[in-house]
Amino acid sequence: MSEAFLFVPLLVTLSGALVAAAAGLPALNRRLSVTRLAWLLALAPSAAFGLILWQVAVLGSGPPLIWRFDWIPSLGLGAGLYLDHLSALFALLVTGIGALVVIYTGYYFKGKARPWGEWRFLAYLLLFMTAMLGLVLAGDVITLFIFWEGTSVTSFLLIAYKTQDEAARRGAFKSLFITGGGGIALLVGLLLLSYVTGSSELSAILGSGDSVRQSALYPAMLGLIALGAFTKSAQAPFHIWLPDAMSAPTPASAYLHSATMVKAGIYLLARLNPALGFTDLWFWLLSLVGLTTMLVGAYLGLKQNDLKALLAYSTVSQLGILVVLIGQDTEIAFKALVIGVLAHALYKSALFLVVGIVDHEAGTRDLRRLGGLAWVMPASFAVGGVAALSMAGLPPLFGFLAKETLLATATHPNVPPQVNFLFPVATVLAGALVLAQAGMLLWDTFLGKPRDPAIQAHEAPWAMLLAPALPALLSLAVGVLPEPEFLARFLADAAAEVYGAPVKVSLALWTGITVPLVLSVVAVTLGTGLFLLRHRVRALQMRIDERWSFNTVYAGLLNLIDRTAGLATRLQGGKLRIYLAIILIGMVALVAGFGGLSRWEALAALSLPRLSFEGEVAVLRIFALLVTVAAAAATVVLRRDFSAVVALGASGLAIAVLMVLEPAPDVALVQVVVDILTVVVLVLALTRLPREQRQRADTLAARQSRSGLVGNALIATASGLVVAFVTLVARTSRPRESVVTPFYEDAAKTLTGAKDIVGAIIVDFRALDTLIEITVFSLAGLGVYTLLRYASKKMGDGGEAAPPSGAPLPTLGIGGRETSPFIHALAYVSLPLSMLIAVVHVMYGHDQPGDGFTAGVIISLALGFWYVVFGYHEVRRRLFWLRPAPLIGGGLLLAIASAVSAALVSGAFLGHVDFGQQLGLPLPQGFNLSTSFLFEVAICLAVLGSASYLLDTLGHPGEEVK
Amino acid sequence: MELLYALAVGALFGIAVYQILQRNVIRSAIGLILLGAAINLFLLSTGAYQGIVAAYEGLTGQRSDALPQALILTAIVISMGGISLVLSMLYVLSARYRTSDLDEVNKLRG
Repeated sequence: MSEAFLFVPLLVTLSGALVAAAAGLPALNRRLSVTRLAWLLALAPSAAFGLILWQVAVLGSGPPLIWRFDWIPSLGLGAGLYLDHLSALFALLVTGIGALVVIYTGYYFKGKARPWGEWRFLAYLLLFMTAMLGLVLAGDVITLFIFWEGTSVTSFLLIAYKTQDEAARRGAFKSLFITGGGGIALLVGLLLLSYVTGSSELSAILGSGDSVRQSALYPAMLGLIALGAFTKSAQAPFHIWLPDAMSAPTPASAYLHSATMVKAGIYLLARLNPALGFTDLWFWLLSLVGLTTMLVGAYLGLKQNDLKALLAYSTVSQLGILVVLIGQDTEIAFKALVIGVLAHALYKSALFLVVGIVDHEAGTRDLRRLGGLAWVMPASFAVGGVAALSMAGLPPLFGFLAKETLLATATHPNVPPQVNFLFPVATVLAGALVLAQAGMLLWDTFLGKPRDPAIQAHEAPWAMLLAPALPALLSLAVGVLPEPEFLARFLADAAAEVYGAPVKVSLALWTGITVPLVLSVVAVTLGTGLFLLRHRVRALQMRIDERWSFNTVYAGLLNLIDRTAGLATRLQGGKLRIYLAIILIGMVALVAGFGGLSRWEALAALSLPRLSFEGEVAVLRIFALLVTVAAAAATVVLRRDFSAVVALGASGLAIAVLMVLEPAPDVALVQVVVDILTVVVLVLALTRLPREQRQRADTLAARQSRSGLVGNALIATASGLVVAFVTLVARTSRPRESVVTPFYEDAAKTLTGAKDIVGAIIVDFRALDTLIEITVFSLAGLGVYTLLRYASKKMGDGGEAAPPSGAPLPTLGIGGRETSPFIHALAYVSLPLSMLIAVVHVMYGHDQPGDGFTAGVIISLALGFWYVVFGYHEVRRRLFWLRPAPLIGGGLLLAIASAVSAALVSGAFLGHVDFGQQLGLPLPQGFNLSTSFLFEVAICLAVLGSASYLLDTLGHPGEEVK
Repeated sequence: MELLYALAVGALFGIAVYQILQRNVIRSAIGLILLGAAINLFLLSTGAYQGIVAAYEGLTGQRSDALPQALILTAIVISMGGISLVLSMLYVLSARYRTSDLDEVNKLRG
């Protein structure tokens, strides 16, 4: 059998979830009643159960089945599944009880008001099941964590299923808040663990327990992982989420809070016991937390009136017991662990489901109102009775065995002397309290006199009873029937995985008169006493103030978060300048803090500018730098916006000169055309603003307050200095050898047939980046169009002027002024000329400066000239064939088509294929009909489309604000 | 030379920041463009070496580093797209509030 087969149970339950979701379709939903849907869906967990059972049979007593999938091998990231007896035990519980709960759900929701549709609940339930199954089958800590979080999220959805119910929402939030917080701690802990062991694979981690325990990080990772497990498994003081989660529909509570979700923490601790366990720290942490939880849960359970809350607290108590057991290092403890897990899952799920039936049939789960239901619901009484007796730990039920082994662990001579008194006393006390609760649950619900005449209960349908009956029956069968050999062997194998050594498990109830038996008798006596005196004890409990519970801490914490958030939002004044100032101050502080302290030597190494003329271009460079800065400074000083824009253009051109001197001709070319286009666009934008508003804006700088200006200047100076410093460090301390560039230089000609190395990087080596880049550029054009034309039209900011028709129009330039015929002639010539230049660029850009982008912008510039000379309507009339949207779409499609054709021919998406050479076409020297050429054409088209959108919208006169 | 270059980039950046902080929308846009320019000049200095000839196959002599050039090329294109989008947003903003003063726009908030 292939190990990848481990995947199948997960796929089965996941497809169950998908089927449930599909049942949300109205057509299906009408035809399929919820009961039938549930029966159908129950096939998924049943099949998964069968598959796992079969895999366990295949496993025998051999090594675990491991399946691994390398996701990102270079990072050591992978996913994995792992099946041994321990994970099989949990997986069988998850799927087995899962199947029963799904069937039960069908009847639970039958005939209830259905505001949301039960399919939603069932889909969540099966999703949760998949996550839980993945958690226990995970063979890699990363996989485990992902599924772990999956259970948190899906359980949130289940608990908050009744979204109109505020208690449900709050309970769901609380559980997510606490378990999610623990999940973060767990992630860090697991990452530490895989860092120490050098692998995230479970098999490797379990095998390197010694190095883990000796690691200096051991306390940290132990604490973090335990925190994750404790929050999930509701250990004190994190237990407070569990009772609140009872606002979930009962099937969810029965499933999540008996067999699955709360057992995730137990599973994790048990799973990692061979790696983390057997140390003093482990012992004390788990024992003390577990004992506290056990007592807290047992004590609080007794005072509850709500049956579900009672069960929730007794679950807390039981989880505490399991945590204590994992902390021990005696063989008997692990026997008690596996028996405890199984026994608890069986009786607790049965009890939850019976309580659900009572709630469903009697309409309440309040102990003070129920009573005497045994006569109307005899079958429910029988099932609940068996399960409650198992919970009480009475013979001949499975729960008795669980309690016996627990007591045997508590009285084991290996328990340290400091606590060898505390262990048995606490266990007996908790046992007595839980017994009293089991009695209360049974007696006050089913026996005694009916307390509320308004309750008209009747028996549930048989199929609904089936779900709790099966686990209850199993609790009985394991105790009564002669010892089932295979079950004992299976449990022994599971315990051995936790203990790391063989564990003997016998399921015989009677082992002679021993210390545990005597203690058990004490516990039963004490519990019976408590049960008889329950009213007085509970009255006493009620009198103790509830204020000092951990819920107060939780509420305080939430309050604190709210207040901090309030403080943070008060900082957000809505002034862009303040935000920018804060960002810049942060940047200045960071650079000053980190870089400034460690980089003083860079300052020491700097040389003063030397004005040497020997064969250098230094003078030109200095000149260009000066022009750049001076023109930029002019944008501040010049009062009119229009002059400032022109100065900006000058500054950009000076940068182009700098690029030429670098020498970087490709960049210089693009810089020139983009600079001009920017100026054109800015001028067009300026002309769209009303004259009055423009004039007011011109005087703004003068009217700004002096202190504000000084503040801005200070921020600007500080950030300028920091950037100057960073640049200086970058330039003086840069390595003189490049790691990457030589590859591009060597491979450009051979791999891409390009002489232009920069061009080769853009269109071939990093073609995917470029593809994304032109997509972004196209989207920007579309965005401008949408913002200015579509959105403003919708908002009624300005009506579009009706396109004039009929009589020939005077060709009016921008601003409505007439332009001279000479300028017209220039414009007529410029457009075809620009297209010619563009064609040359696209064809020979591979060996010369220039590329598709430049080509596109050059045509757009000529177009911009047209807009300025002829005005919007005339341009639209003459260039009716120039449609931006098809240009953009065609460009992008062509780029993808060229990429795909390369993939078909050479096997690499966006790879380089020279079609001209392959087909033997006679082409002019220096021109290659290759994918690069197609890509350049595509870029040109997309850029032209986007830029003409820009010009078209900004040159449009219709929406000028009146 | 290095010091001069660094000072120029710093000055350009400082001017850009000052312009962005202005109340006038158009000046803010100008500041944004200058900021892009300053950063592109900075990017140029991350190259490993300065060349004498352009980065072309077949030219003799020390070629300039092609990598930062490719980066700058991409950056110029993207910032062109970004700036035009920002510009149109600023335009819509000022058209809707009938002012180019960012502080006045702010006052109309909520």
